[in-house]
Amino acid sequence: MSAQVARISVERASKRFSSGSLTVFDGLDLAVRDKEALCILGPSGCGKTTLLRSMHGLVPLDGGRIVIDGAEVRAPRRNVAMVFQHFGLMPWKRVRENVAYGLELAGLPKATIDERVEGYIEMVGLRGFERAYPNQLSGGMQQRAGLARALAVEPDILLMDEPFGSLDALTREILQDELLRIYQLAPRTMVFITHSIEEAIAMGDRILVLSARPARVRELLQVDIPRPRTVASVIAHPRFIPLRDHCWRLLRERAA
Amino acid sequence: MTLHQVGVEVDESRAEAVPASRWRRLRPGDWAVRLGTIALILGVWELFGPTLNKLILRPPSDIVRAFFELVANGELQDAMSQSFRELFGGLGVALVLGLVIGIASGRWRFVYNAIDPLVSALYSVPSVALVPLIAVAFKSIGDPPRIATVALFAIFPILINTQQGVRNVDRQLLEVARSFHTSERRLWTDVIIPSATPYVLAGVRLAIGRGLIGMIVAEFFIGLVGLGYLIIAYENVFRIDRMFVPVIVVATMGILMMGFVQWLEGRIAPWLKKEQ
Repeated sequence: MSAQVARISVERASKRFSSGSLTVFDGLDLAVRDKEALCILGPSGCGKTTLLRSMHGLVPLDGGRIVIDGAEVRAPRRNVAMVFQHFGLMPWKRVRENVAYGLELAGLPKATIDERVEGYIEMVGLRGFERAYPNQLSGGMQQRAGLARALAVEPDILLMDEPFGSLDALTREILQDELLRIYQLAPRTMVFITHSIEEAIAMGDRILVLSARPARVRELLQVDIPRPRTVASVIAHPRFIPLRDHCWRLLRERAA
Repeated sequence: MTLHQVGVEVDESRAEAVPASRWRRLRPGDWAVRLGTIALILGVWELFGPTLNKLILRPPSDIVRAFFELVANGELQDAMSQSFRELFGGLGVALVLGLVIGIASGRWRFVYNAIDPLVSALYSVPSVALVPLIAVAFKSIGDPPRIATVALFAIFPILINTQQGVRNVDRQLLEVARSFHTSERRLWTDVIIPSATPYVLAGVRLAIGRGLIGMIVAEFFIGLVGLGYLIIAYENVFRIDRMFVPVIVVATMGILMMGFVQWLEGRIAPWLKKEQ
């Protein structure tokens, strides 16, 4: 499987909300290996998203540290890209311009930008919609654009913040399959936040199950279902039901 | 005005305007209703006005005749060039100052705190009450105090809407921009300015109406010139037909200029009208 090198390590990370009374997580440790897909699964409001935003340097920690490639994270890095639950597309930019956004900010030559934008729009299945504005697209198509924007900068690390959480069930499953296919083309380090057990099993090489706030690591599970995967093949796999039941029990037990 | 546009009025306290995304393109049926209403009012006025009060309710046909008389003797053109100089000068000043102060106070807390009480105070005082003060301050009855009056009337909707537009930038998009390593300059061009644009344009639409009021008030109080002079002069001699001509010119200007801004919005903010 993947090399045992930690690409991202979270060391005794603590975060309280500004009032100080609400502890989001305290003394959290975890390591993300190179080129693995790690799913972080936890109940709503357990601080998964805050943890992911900290990994990207978007919110500062109150204690501990997060290290990527040997350097402590203080601000977003160029080799890390994020996909947002709310899509985060600029309503005033067409699909093409949204996908090109990160590349323009990176100051790449125009020819490179054009080539990459075209390639990733093709990859996520948005050909023909380059000139559409986001509000002309369905949620699923908007997130395809959000995905293309993140992939286009060709990051070493992809941070996925419940990317399919706001989509309807059918669209979600279609996009899960798309992501599995794209991931297969170029496996890279991916941290995938979700509150869906099925999604965590389908997407992850490992699943980190967090408890309700303050978030603690309940368990780190290996998903021993081979790739290439599709959602259907994962659900049909004999390991799926035992894994799902195990996650269910972990999530349902109240933190002691 | 359509119902949708009414939703854009800034409430007298301090609310930001609703972004213009709910405006819809007018359909042929809408135009039929709009023109039909005007035709109905004019028809009733023409037929029944003179029977109610022959002196004051001069029929529209008399006003049309008066319009051509004033054009023929050149009075209307002179008044219009005088008035529009004040109007566009004042709106220009209001636009520049409103944008600069609005952006600065929307972005920096210090500027906001520094100007907010002043803006609230000046916005609450009826602008008319300050006009004599402007005349005195400029020590003149020429164009500068009248331009300043138009600017005073027009600046607040632009300033407050710009400020709210800048303050209400979607925090999630700011985070997206940071996530992709934006520079401060690109943050403005990619996120802040486009997201404030509909607010600014709604402010400009309101400013046009207030600017036209300011123009006439300035001409009443300071020097008596332009379209304001024509209104007073013909009212004093009971030429109500002629008095209505500048009034209708002002109303037409309001319609044309607001329509222009709406058209402009379609050009510079095309994403707003693309919904469905």
